[in-house]
Amino acid sequence: MSGLISRDEVIRIADLARLDLSDTEVEQYQKDLNNLLSSGKKLQNVDVNDTKKTSHAVSMVHELRKDEVEASLPQEVVLSAGSKVMDGFFQVPRIVEEQE
Amino acid sequence: MVTKYDTVIGLEIHVALQTESKFICGCSTEFGAPPNSHCCPICLGLPGALPVLNEKAVEYAIKTGMALNCEINRFSKFDRKNYFYPDMPTAYQITQDAFPICSKGYLEYYYEDKLIKTSLNRIHLECEAGKLIHSGDSIIDSDFSLVDYNRAGIALIEIVTEPDMSAPKQARTFLEQLRLLLNYIGVSDTKMEEGSLRCDANISLKPRGSTVLGPKVELKNLNSFRSLERGLEYEEQRQTEVLEQGGEIRQETRTWNERTGKTASMRSKGDAPDYRFFPEPDLPPLNIDESRVEAISLSIPELPLERLHRLESEYGLSRYESTFLTNYPEFGGLFFELIGKKLQSGAVVNFLMGDYARLAREKGHLTASRIGELLEILKEGLINNNQGKDVLEELYKSEQSPREIVKEKGWEMVSDASELEGVIARILSENPELVSRYENGEDKLFGFFVGQVMRATRGKGDPEVVNSLLRKELGQ
Amino acid sequence: MKKLAQLLESKQVSSEEVAQKYLNRIKEKDSEINAFITVDEDGVLQQARAADQRRAQGSPLSKWDGIPIAIKDNISTQGLLTSCASKFLSNYKPVFDATVVSKLKQAGLPIIGKTNLDEFAMGSSTEYSTYGATCNPHDIERVSGGSSGGSAAAVAAEMIPWALGTDTGGSIRQPASFCGVVGLKPTYGRVSRFGVVALAPSLDHVGPLAKSVEDVAILFSLLAGSDPGDSTSAQIGPFAVPSWDGSVVKGLKIGVPEEFFSTGLNSEVEQAVRNSLKMLEEQGATLIPISLASNAYAIDTYLTIVTAEASSSLARFDGIRYGERVDAEDTNTMYAKSRAAGFGTEVKRRIMLGTYVLSASQYEAYYEQAQKVRTIIKQEVSEALKQVDVIITPTTPTPAFKIGEKRDPLELYLSDLYTAIANLSGVPALSLPCGTTSAGLPMGVQVMGDYFSEELILQVGSLIEQGVGGGVSGD
Ligand SMILES: [Mg+2]
Ligand SMILES: [Zn+2]
Repeated sequence: MSGLISRDEVIRIADLARLDLSDTEVEQYQKDLNNLLSSGKKLQNVDVNDTKKTSHAVSMVHELRKDEVEASLPQEVVLSAGSKVMDGFFQVPRIVEEQE
Repeated sequence: MVTKYDTVIGLEIHVALQTESKFICGCSTEFGAPPNSHCCPICLGLPGALPVLNEKAVEYAIKTGMALNCEINRFSKFDRKNYFYPDMPTAYQITQDAFPICSKGYLEYYYEDKLIKTSLNRIHLECEAGKLIHSGDSIIDSDFSLVDYNRAGIALIEIVTEPDMSAPKQARTFLEQLRLLLNYIGVSDTKMEEGSLRCDANISLKPRGSTVLGPKVELKNLNSFRSLERGLEYEEQRQTEVLEQGGEIRQETRTWNERTGKTASMRSKGDAPDYRFFPEPDLPPLNIDESRVEAISLSIPELPLERLHRLESEYGLSRYESTFLTNYPEFGGLFFELIGKKLQSGAVVNFLMGDYARLAREKGHLTASRIGELLEILKEGLINNNQGKDVLEELYKSEQSPREIVKEKGWEMVSDASELEGVIARILSENPELVSRYENGEDKLFGFFVGQVMRATRGKGDPEVVNSLLRKELGQ
Repeated sequence: MKKLAQLLESKQVSSEEVAQKYLNRIKEKDSEINAFITVDEDGVLQQARAADQRRAQGSPLSKWDGIPIAIKDNISTQGLLTSCASKFLSNYKPVFDATVVSKLKQAGLPIIGKTNLDEFAMGSSTEYSTYGATCNPHDIERVSGGSSGGSAAAVAAEMIPWALGTDTGGSIRQPASFCGVVGLKPTYGRVSRFGVVALAPSLDHVGPLAKSVEDVAILFSLLAGSDPGDSTSAQIGPFAVPSWDGSVVKGLKIGVPEEFFSTGLNSEVEQAVRNSLKMLEEQGATLIPISLASNAYAIDTYLTIVTAEASSSLARFDGIRYGERVDAEDTNTMYAKSRAAGFGTEVKRRIMLGTYVLSASQYEAYYEQAQKVRTIIKQEVSEALKQVDVIITPTTPTPAFKIGEKRDPLELYLSDLYTAIANLSGVPALSLPCGTTSAGLPMGVQVMGDYFSEELILQVGSLIEQGVGGGVSGD
């Protein structure tokens, strides 16, 4: 189907978002995304000129915290909800890429 | 025709700030605690938990910026850098992308005897990730990895230089001097082995004289000063060879392997991650007011280069001596304390750079008051330099003061003329042949007689008195 | 609630009896309505008995000590399932309380349970819940609205006197309107978000739902206040429940934005809202036609921002520290499988859209553009509120629709058409009932005011309430 987003693009996005989608889902989301984006495209017609961006609704003073140590959670509580733990650590399967 | 290439190097340095609590929460930053014992809902990224930033971390970033001649931005913002990795509990890093807290700036330092500047692009605040432990030798050949979030949420600053350096050795010198400065201002313990100072490098080559930078290679896993220099040297060599053989350099990220001494490709530009930066909605922008900036500027101590120049100009020390005292701040500190005790700067620096330097590195530093007393009794002539060395050794073994040691060991110098005259008379009478050879012009025998006297007094003879008495006896 | 508080104070009823009464009501009604995900029977009775003890000792924690409350299931409650109506968190029990929950506990309010919602608050009908849809108590074939549908329906069906909801684009006001209850979305930052599972942090709000404006005001007074745990919380003092003498109506300037009364608006809803306006005018208010033309972009702006922020906020659900985990050969596959298994259709759809609009090549065209349009919307609202004291609109274009009726996502998003503007600009907005349709469905009117003008909009709401129904009591 033609549209803003290709099937490959949908797969790339799913990969970026770490979502294992079925073929049917890929098809469905391709359709949904194209519909939603053609609506979203309307925004591009708004004349924003030199309008500033709003990332926070209300301007506020950033209150910082004093550098004081507070109690942490006990290790067993930290680990309690992890589905795989080992020797006080969370366990994860093989990592296939390096990160900074 | 052989083309010559110029090397262009830039660095990105991550520095863990030495705050008591983390950047985003109140958990302790203590190193070496049991895994996952310094964690809370915030640094674990539990649903609904929100970051609240540490004031001290912000101050340290500003302090660093000031010490590095940066512009301190009165307005800065936080962004999310989105990526999935097991050590990042929220799957995004809180960082400053568009509006960093410090811009521009430079570090001035001596490299190959010349005072040079390396320009900085920016310093920004960001959040540390957790730590991974791999089941195998390396990440790639591990079946599984273990995650410890104790480190997650600690404050980092990232210092980004301009591509301003032209040699691997210069990059190393820069990093060493930067580290020294960070130690001086007390914002980080900068332990590369504990990961509190980390460095990535960008390196590209360009034909000599050209102003166009070649494709840059980002180098990772440079875990020591040595790795930084070696990794860059390897890469400089590799790229030169590729170019000389008519090849092209790919823009990519490569990782340094300390064991093999080579770099290997990690990912090319095409696979560069899409971090989807956007403003961190959980944190308002940061406005820094003038009074805070002023207060921080007052907290900046003398910086390494200022100290180096002051040691030269105020104390008349050589570049070599000044550099030593600057680069080893504990020695520098002792120097200034001892100078306060009315000791000569030359004597002090000679002492500190002599046997003391060796012992201090092995066994740690002595207090200025004990060193001061030792230098004092040397100056008074209570002991000679040889005995000074013995006293120094003793200071590491006992709690006694230098004077007490000398007294207990009976090491006071013999400078009593009548006692020494007797010894000299005996030695001269035992060696009539040598006396006549000396009198016939064999000047170097004077040293032999001195040595004999010193041996007879078991090293305690006051060299000055011995010399003058010998000269008198030998008829000069 | 004042009446109930007096009964408790005079010991004519005990907290335990009150809690038991609501538990019984839940047993009687909730199999039909499905407003609750968790009913904490033991917990609420225990807390109620503790409240009774405090009252017996003459040291209640507050006037409202012992009056139970329900909490939307995306607000963290220590030790009590907080599922966000997601399979991903179907076993997740937080180790900490949200700030609002701590505040309620400090006031002595026993927590009766957790209410249903659209998964991670993504929706406008409470149909997207892994625990099934919440039905509208006025017509169980219809939706309760969303995403705070469980809270609104529970209050409407009198299974609880009041409840907490969250509102990112209308999620308190729209279900309040559909279910015929009162709901307040406060000024951004006035109520702490700490512990509230994020959908879109720059748009998320927490607020009260109850049967009457006064009860909403009382609950709001327990929630409002700056929180050192939320850097975006406003540095503003506590909120005091006002007296309702009606004096604000004299000289009150009411802005009536024409764009909110145009095509797409159900005629019965229009009539009901106009009646309320007329009634206020008769009491001394002035109606001033205004224009909020930028509202035409509100839904697209809202959708762009909400999906972008949500794609990031929900990235933490990776299966390592908590929640659903589907094991796999490598970490990336584990993430992708766990997230695919744990998230429902709508959540995935929004994550996909949000990831796309934030991606490097699209960022400027969509997200950055949306942030700029947001500024235009915000400025227009601020400008309007310089001319008028409050802005009154319908809460929703239509009354509650049928379950399963709206299949197209965009159509569903349009039910936030009149509400999203308050989230985008951050101003407070109240929804309260303004009548019922001929079919007996509730309709809602929305009162918006300037930043931190909650007292005024509640006062105005109270006037409408008295005009419409002569005062509704939740007791
Ligand atoms: Mg960084
Ligand atoms: Zn923490």
